[in-house]
Amino acid sequence: MYIPRSILILLVIIYLLFLLSVDWINQPDGAWYRPFIIGFLVVMVGSWAHREQDSDEL
Amino acid sequence: MNYELTTLFGLGSGYLLLLFGIAFITDRGWIPERIVHHPIVYVLSLGVFASVWAYYTSVGNALRDGYGYLAHSIGISLAFLLSPLLLRPILELTRTYQLSSLADLMSFRYRSPWVGTIVTLVTLVGVTPLIALQIRAVADTADILSPAAPQGSLAFVFCIIITLFAILFGTSGRGGRTRHAGLVMAIAFESLVKLLAFLAVGAFAIFGGFGGIDGMSQWLQEQPQLLTSLKETNYFSSFHVMALLFFTASVAMPHMFYVTFNENNGQRALAYASWGLPLYFLLISLPILPILWAGLQSGSNIQADYFPLIIGEEYQAPVFTLIAYLGGLSAASGLIIVITLALSNMCLNHLILPIYQPTAQNDIYLWLLWKRRVLITALIWAGFLFHYLLEDRISIQIIGTVAFTACLQFLPGIIAILYWPQANKKGFLAGLSAGVLIWFVFLMLPIFLETNPLSLVSINWREIAALSLIANCMLFAAVSLRSTTTDEERNAADICALDTIQRRKRSGLVAKSPDEFIKSLSKPLGNKTATREVMQALRDLDLVIEERQPYALKLLRGRLEANLSGLLGPSIARELMDGYLPYSIVSGHGSSDLAMTESRIEAYRSNLSGMAADLDNLRRYHRQILLDLPLGVCSLSFDNEIVMWNHTLEEFTGISSADVVGSQVTDLAEPWVSLLLNFIEEDANHSYKHNFELNGHKKSVNLHKALIEKTGEQDASPEGVIILLEDITETEILEAELSHSERLASIGRLAAGVAHEIGNPITGIACLAQTIRDEYKDDELHKLAKQIIEQTDRTSKILQSLVNFAHAGTGKTQYEKEVVSIIDCFAEAEILMSLDQKSKILQYQIDCDPAAKILGDSQRLLQVLVNLINNARDASQANSKISLQAEIEDDQVRIVITDEGVGIPEAIRDRIFDPFFTTKEPGEGTGLGLSLVFSIVEDLDGDIDIISPVNKIKGTGTQVILRFPCYHGESEAAVEDPEQITNT
Repeated sequence: MYIPRSILILLVIIYLLFLLSVDWINQPDGAWYRPFIIGFLVVMVGSWAHREQDSDEL
Repeated sequence: MNYELTTLFGLGSGYLLLLFGIAFITDRGWIPERIVHHPIVYVLSLGVFASVWAYYTSVGNALRDGYGYLAHSIGISLAFLLSPLLLRPILELTRTYQLSSLADLMSFRYRSPWVGTIVTLVTLVGVTPLIALQIRAVADTADILSPAAPQGSLAFVFCIIITLFAILFGTSGRGGRTRHAGLVMAIAFESLVKLLAFLAVGAFAIFGGFGGIDGMSQWLQEQPQLLTSLKETNYFSSFHVMALLFFTASVAMPHMFYVTFNENNGQRALAYASWGLPLYFLLISLPILPILWAGLQSGSNIQADYFPLIIGEEYQAPVFTLIAYLGGLSAASGLIIVITLALSNMCLNHLILPIYQPTAQNDIYLWLLWKRRVLITALIWAGFLFHYLLEDRISIQIIGTVAFTACLQFLPGIIAILYWPQANKKGFLAGLSAGVLIWFVFLMLPIFLETNPLSLVSINWREIAALSLIANCMLFAAVSLRSTTTDEERNAADICALDTIQRRKRSGLVAKSPDEFIKSLSKPLGNKTATREVMQALRDLDLVIEERQPYALKLLRGRLEANLSGLLGPSIARELMDGYLPYSIVSGHGSSDLAMTESRIEAYRSNLSGMAADLDNLRRYHRQILLDLPLGVCSLSFDNEIVMWNHTLEEFTGISSADVVGSQVTDLAEPWVSLLLNFIEEDANHSYKHNFELNGHKKSVNLHKALIEKTGEQDASPEGVIILLEDITETEILEAELSHSERLASIGRLAAGVAHEIGNPITGIACLAQTIRDEYKDDELHKLAKQIIEQTDRTSKILQSLVNFAHAGTGKTQYEKEVVSIIDCFAEAEILMSLDQKSKILQYQIDCDPAAKILGDSQRLLQVLVNLINNARDASQANSKISLQAEIEDDQVRIVITDEGVGIPEAIRDRIFDPFFTTKEPGEGTGLGLSLVFSIVEDLDGDIDIISPVNKIKGTGTQVILRFPCYHGESEAAVEDPEQITNT
């Protein structure tokens, strides 16, 4: 099966972010908006992964 | 809180009228195209997913589950962030095959109208609570804001306005295939309004409720249990199931399927949405916690779900209450409009059309339009009825969960479409039935039956959702693996599966032209509709009505099916196609349509990487070898369809590859059709020297053929045949020339023999004539004898030259090489020429380098010069000039003989060295002169060039150029060595 490289990178990043961010969010003295910081980072990575490329639409 | 109901009516109606206005001006084209089709509009329209659930329920969820409320946003965001895995391939399928709903997609993949019907029924039952949820939220907000008003009145009016809007703007155009620009724009506007409203309320909660961020932080520090519950809640237990629910809903919910795939502008828009929609949901999730905390701080006794609505009033800023009310109205109306629109299409295609179809006399488009309008109305009011029956017993959170869990049952079927080709309809239906049964018994029924022992309180809904999904998956897999799959279903699986560049069914069509398509389709659709649909499909494919190629007709059939599928649903479209435009040859699964496969690989090429790219390069290399082969290559499929027509064949036949690939052999022009067909029918694999006439020229070809065996199959019939066509026209001409030369050579040998035999009696006659001449002087007999002698002399000369020519060609002549001075040869030739008294008077201009010497035979060189000068003299007028030049150039002696004669006509220029070729009168020349010259020059290691005409303007004069190796005098010793100078 063919999976674009950007998706593989995205999957790895999501997985790593997930593990790291859960601990970070759950720290007792952490600010309430921490999940949203993670969310913004994910969106930024997503916009990089889905940036416009010269692709031929089928 | 006591707002006048009229205020709420006015505000709601005004807002919905604004939506009407936006949809109207968009449909009229008053908003520029670049704005209407901008990906941001598409992203915002996808915000329809943020319904009342995101707007109100999330606040209550945040109180109960802490960060678990984010599952809604995370589920949908993951679906879009990972769009290349799920959404993008489905988008391709829906666009290619005009599939407008999940039921269309399922019935297309699992090849059964029943699948479509069951998916529609499940969706209908599952989604009605979601419509009821929106109406309930509108009713609840009215109750909160205006407790004195009669219950349900606002919800009732709301339903009427929404029905009108959906009918007016959702059913324009032609069913599933048209984008509803006005509707999309209005929905995008709604999404923007609810986002801005929510952000505004959130900002007010922070600044109005707490006096700023610092105030909120301070308040939070005073309420440590809030932060603890936010983080310590075991939200991960429900989080996974929740996220999965919303992940599935991104495809399975009819409104999301409709906006994501039907109103899409292409992959670019989806790429924007892949990060744009997660951003939207991130923003809409942001104000939820401040709103919740502000609501808690206010000490309001209203249900936490409706905190967005009350904090404006609680903190003395009623305008924010109205803003929140508008946002909520916006969230509810957007979802109801799109969901009923999508559901109406599904119901029409999968519940109504399979039972009742319009006759050919009806205007199909109008009939469909009205049916759709009726369905939209029925669906909205079914939602209202559901809300009415539930009263206020069940919370909106439970209603929403029940609806989303129903859609979860489609997840295995959706994943299998792309990733599991072995899945079949029996497995899908079995799994779906099991999942839906569990859902219905344990989640749906308890909503209505208050005394049900299996109520939501006693059994955790998450466990039920997980149980139903597991049962669904297990049955799906087990039944699919144990039951048989039809060929048709396997083909559909190949088309849908991501990891196959599929080999499609190859079939010939009964209808042989677009006209026949129209004729066949007129029976079910009526002539007008059939013509319109066929012409539309032709336009879509950029084909013309005269198209006859089988490949193009197959594409046309596919396009027609896709277009009709957008109009009537895939099941009905397929029935129509199979019934009225059937295939004439139906082959089994796996037989290939190479043209189709090839075009697919070509289109996909830039996406290939690694091994796939290497294989593609290898494929292209081998294909290029065949295309560039200097033999004509024509490859045919088993049903005589042309698959390959290489460059040499294009050049030879003058027929372009693009014109014939995909055609039948019988579609070729003469003489090719009879040539190829006769050869295919022959048993022999090789056939030589087929002569035919092409454009007035005779052509000759050799034909070879080989059967293409199916790879990996032992006793299968051949997959096709490859024919090699070898153009031997040139070889034939050369052969003819060679045989002509052979004939001439034998004539030469014969002539030499005859000449020798005739020579003896001629010598006798000459002797006798001389005797008579000497005996009878001054007598009549003396004159006659002289004439006889003259004639015999002439005969002897002819015979001598004939004998010389015959000997020259054999290469057996022996002569001694000697140093030949060109200037001496010129002088001798001039003397010889002057002896001929009958000749014209000409001026000889001799210009010779005295050092020009060659190694050869002076007598033979003299013979060459005399022959050439003779020819020059015969071609020249009296008193004209003949120039003889000799010079040393690049270690060669260059002898040039130039005349001012008539020149050599172009038509005979190639033949002047041919033996017996002459332009002189019979008896004047033998036609052997120049042949002899050519032979002697070759014997002397020289070469000869003839330039004619010399004077390009007048077109007169001939120049003969001879080149011989120059003799420099150093090889005197060699001259004396007989071994080296004798040329045998």
